[in-house]
Amino acid sequence: MGLTQIDNLEVGMILAKDVHDRAGRLLLGSGVELSQKHLTIFRTWGVLEVDIAGSEDGDQNSPLPAEITTEQMEAAMAALEPLFINSDREHPVIRELHRLAVIRKAAHEPS
Amino acid sequence: MSPPERSHITLERLVDQTRAIYSLPYFYERFNEAINHPRSSIADIAKIIIEDQGLTARILKLANSPMFGYYAKVDSITRAVTIIGTQQLRDLAFAASAMGVFKGIPDELMNMAFFWRHSISCGIIARNLATCLRESNVERFFVAGILHDVGQLIMCSAIPETMSELLTSSRSKGEHFFHTERDMLGFDHAELGGALLQAWKLPPNIHEPVSCHHAPRHALQFPLETSIIHLAEIICQALEFGISGEWCVSPLEPEAWDRLGLPVNTLSMILHQSEPQIEETFTILMEGL
Repeated sequence: MGLTQIDNLEVGMILAKDVHDRAGRLLLGSGVELSQKHLTIFRTWGVLEVDIAGSEDGDQNSPLPAEITTEQMEAAMAALEPLFINSDREHPVIRELHRLAVIRKAAHEPS
Repeated sequence: MSPPERSHITLERLVDQTRAIYSLPYFYERFNEAINHPRSSIADIAKIIIEDQGLTARILKLANSPMFGYYAKVDSITRAVTIIGTQQLRDLAFAASAMGVFKGIPDELMNMAFFWRHSISCGIIARNLATCLRESNVERFFVAGILHDVGQLIMCSAIPETMSELLTSSRSKGEHFFHTERDMLGFDHAELGGALLQAWKLPPNIHEPVSCHHAPRHALQFPLETSIIHLAEIICQALEFGISGEWCVSPLEPEAWDRLGLPVNTLSMILHQSEPQIEETFTILMEGL
């Protein structure tokens, strides 16, 4: 089981844990099979990620947007290298910002 | 060789010098008086802003932009006073007019369009982070974000040679700009900017986050506000929203992030939300500058 971002949820997935909104209100109990309506409810109540049974943790690096090529990614990474040179890239926040920066740069830069 | 000005650069002297040249936007003092006067009405308060037509136009545009999400149309300053609130409106008006205070800084020293894009982005991201944490009166985050690097502008206008030397030196040594400042001057732009805002009598929930945005652990009164500005600036640098004196991403203080208690994937949501707002707010605030 693992945390899955709501963008990657699909109908039919099974919840491994209860889902609460940001105020702590229970929205759905564990074991529920997700329906389209549930996905809408998560968005309505600002849920960002839920625990899904059977999925692996670690696919936090969500798949790349299809229109970005590997070359574009590599070029973006190289271009961002000086910017992050003094940063602690082990820290999850910096790692996430780096990932977002690479995607943003790769998407903006023509190949 | 160091320029002759260096030996007597102190934080106090720079603040005094700046206060002598640039006056606090005139309306701010009167606005404060009006707010604090027991017999002033909303119309009295609104009148002070309306006297400045450019400012009035910018505030109305800001208040009606989707970022604010006010359900009613804000079509007059009087309405803005009632909907936004007097203190928030005062702070917003201050930020909008403070941007016009530092003029005539040469482009080679500091590109002002990039500088303000960095500052405005920081304000917007800070505001969105605060909203996400369910803080109330989020305008103070926006204002502190816009003004967080004002210390750099003080140096650009008061000691341009030293500023240029600092910029070159931090890049060639590959060290953070505020480290170079502390080495060469004994203080950094954060403290300097905070000291000016304090001298201008801005409230501590704005000047402390500015003072401590590179050292959030030193913020004693407003650690949450300071942590948010600290993180917001790092986000702007990583995503290349404008440029200030710093040439690389500033170091993140892990305690500041932990204080917010947000999950890491909030960041992509915040960005998604902030990017369009940055464009729009930048256009509104830079108009006629």
